[in-house]
Amino acid sequence: MTLDPFTTAGLVGLSGALLGIGLFGIVTRRNFILLLVAIEIAINAAVLNFVYFAAFASNPSSGLNGQSAAIVVIGLAATEIAVGLAIVLALNRIRGSINVTEATALKL
Amino acid sequence: MNGITTALEFLPEILVLAGALLVLLLDVVGVRRLEAFGGVIVAAFGAALVAILADLSVAPFAGWSTLPAGSLDVGPVGGSLYAFTSFGLVFQGIFLSAALLVAVASLSRTSNEKGASVFYALLGIAALGMLLVAVSADLIFLLLSLEVTAISSYLLVGYTRRESRGLEAAMKFYIIGALSAALSFYGASLLYGAYGTTSLAVIGHSYPSGGLGPLAIVGYAFLFAGIGFEVTIVPFHAWAVDVYDGAPTDVSAFLAGGTKKVGLFAFFAVFLVPLLLIGGGAATASGSFRDSLQILIAVFAILTMTIGNVLALMQDNMKRMLAYSSISQAGYMLLGVAVATSAALTGATLQIFAHVLLKGGAFLVVAAAAGLGVGPMIADWKGFGHRRPVLGASFALMLLGLAGIPLTIGFVSKFILFAATVQAEGLFLWLAIAGLLNSALSVFYYARVLRTMYAESPEGALTPTEEVRGLAFDGLGLGRAVAIGAAVVAIVGFGVDPQPLVQVMQAAVQHFVTLGI
Repeated sequence: MTLDPFTTAGLVGLSGALLGIGLFGIVTRRNFILLLVAIEIAINAAVLNFVYFAAFASNPSSGLNGQSAAIVVIGLAATEIAVGLAIVLALNRIRGSINVTEATALKL
Repeated sequence: MNGITTALEFLPEILVLAGALLVLLLDVVGVRRLEAFGGVIVAAFGAALVAILADLSVAPFAGWSTLPAGSLDVGPVGGSLYAFTSFGLVFQGIFLSAALLVAVASLSRTSNEKGASVFYALLGIAALGMLLVAVSADLIFLLLSLEVTAISSYLLVGYTRRESRGLEAAMKFYIIGALSAALSFYGASLLYGAYGTTSLAVIGHSYPSGGLGPLAIVGYAFLFAGIGFEVTIVPFHAWAVDVYDGAPTDVSAFLAGGTKKVGLFAFFAVFLVPLLLIGGGAATASGSFRDSLQILIAVFAILTMTIGNVLALMQDNMKRMLAYSSISQAGYMLLGVAVATSAALTGATLQIFAHVLLKGGAFLVVAAAAGLGVGPMIADWKGFGHRRPVLGASFALMLLGLAGIPLTIGFVSKFILFAATVQAEGLFLWLAIAGLLNSALSVFYYARVLRTMYAESPEGALTPTEEVRGLAFDGLGLGRAVAIGAAVVAIVGFGVDPQPLVQVMQAAVQHFVTLGI
């Protein structure tokens, strides 16, 4: 199975929409936990790309390359979120709030 | 190739990882001495640095190399994830010197807070990620190693936990870092879709035949944004100032001297190799593409140095001034990418090393001064040069080096970089002029600090005892004194006799350019 331009456009459009939703969330969310959810969505757009490009790969070794990349990125996303949660916990302990906009000790 | 020779290839990485794990282990078995943790990490970094110098056959360590004969500079074999190049090894050396400087300086931290072992362990893991970036030959491996460094540095910024400013900086750093990771991996997935592989060398060599399709162009644009955040290229720079300001100052030194340089190496590997060296050089059809890409990077370089400099001029806070000047220095390094000749790359590599010593050293002096009760604003440094002659002179030397005054390494690197830019002729002449004007502009804010330190007398007269104490590195702690002293010696030493350093870097860049990774 090979990719024709229309299928590719549709697939990339789908993952692009996912990335857009994630980026929109990162920019607009004030609650740190929801911000983590947005980050997860944005990273998963890349995973989705890897998975379907691997499914349409021209040869088996290229397909394996994409599949392993997808698994690695899923692992990375989990690590990223774990560290984010650690920062949320520490922030909540000293400030009693996880609202991102209240972080104003450093001027931008 | 059997397991042991493969393991020996990764000797520096293994040493650093072993150091980090040993620190955690010591903490678990109940060792509570800070010096023990710091000593282990410093020893691990030092041993790894020796191993790297041996691999590069640098004078006293030549012949100790653990790399199998003939495995250096041959490029990735088959679909290999990694390749050992002398260019990568030079960068490993640069990264480790930054990490070592910070590790030695933090030996003089005396507070016995809980989680001190974590600081050193994270420093080790971050250094491991940096080393792996420099050997990677695969896009996913490269971005993953970059994330190892990034994730440990979020934690380094916020590790004090009870300090609100540090945590806030960690939060901002984390959000920007996660955003940049999402963009980079999305870009990588599009490149995979376009070429069916994530190997940098294979992607690079497929341009002459395949050219760049729309998928690849969009993929590269996302990678540019993602890595641009890491390198603080101008529209993506705003976070750096807050993070450098809010982080513990030792960590700021590590971020400015270490993790940012990793982003630059990733930039080299992702853009320079495939787009400029292989694709552009081999096919005449893509020549115009190469030109427009060079102009694009040149525009970003000029924007980065100018905006960084102008904002640095307006700062009253010492750490924020240094952070903005760090952004403008990234512009000079990008200049080498835009010109993309081996001379310009040598200049950029030297500039990166110079920046590790100068900016890393400057942040360490700020950390030391804060320990001596100097406030965060530039005005608080009034009379510092009189009160602390040795420390003040070291700081003055670092600022002069950043401005590019002769007899410092900062002059050598800028000279080679600008000379190469002028040699490239054409539009690059304007690039060189823009760079020189920016250098002149930067002198203003460095000179302002020098004037505050020396021309203005300190409040209240100095008592003789204070004057005598000021001559020694007293109250500074041995670690900080050694780190700052080593930086000063290297800045002046390589400034007076840059030849050995330049030779090593020239040879490495030559291999890199001919091999194309």
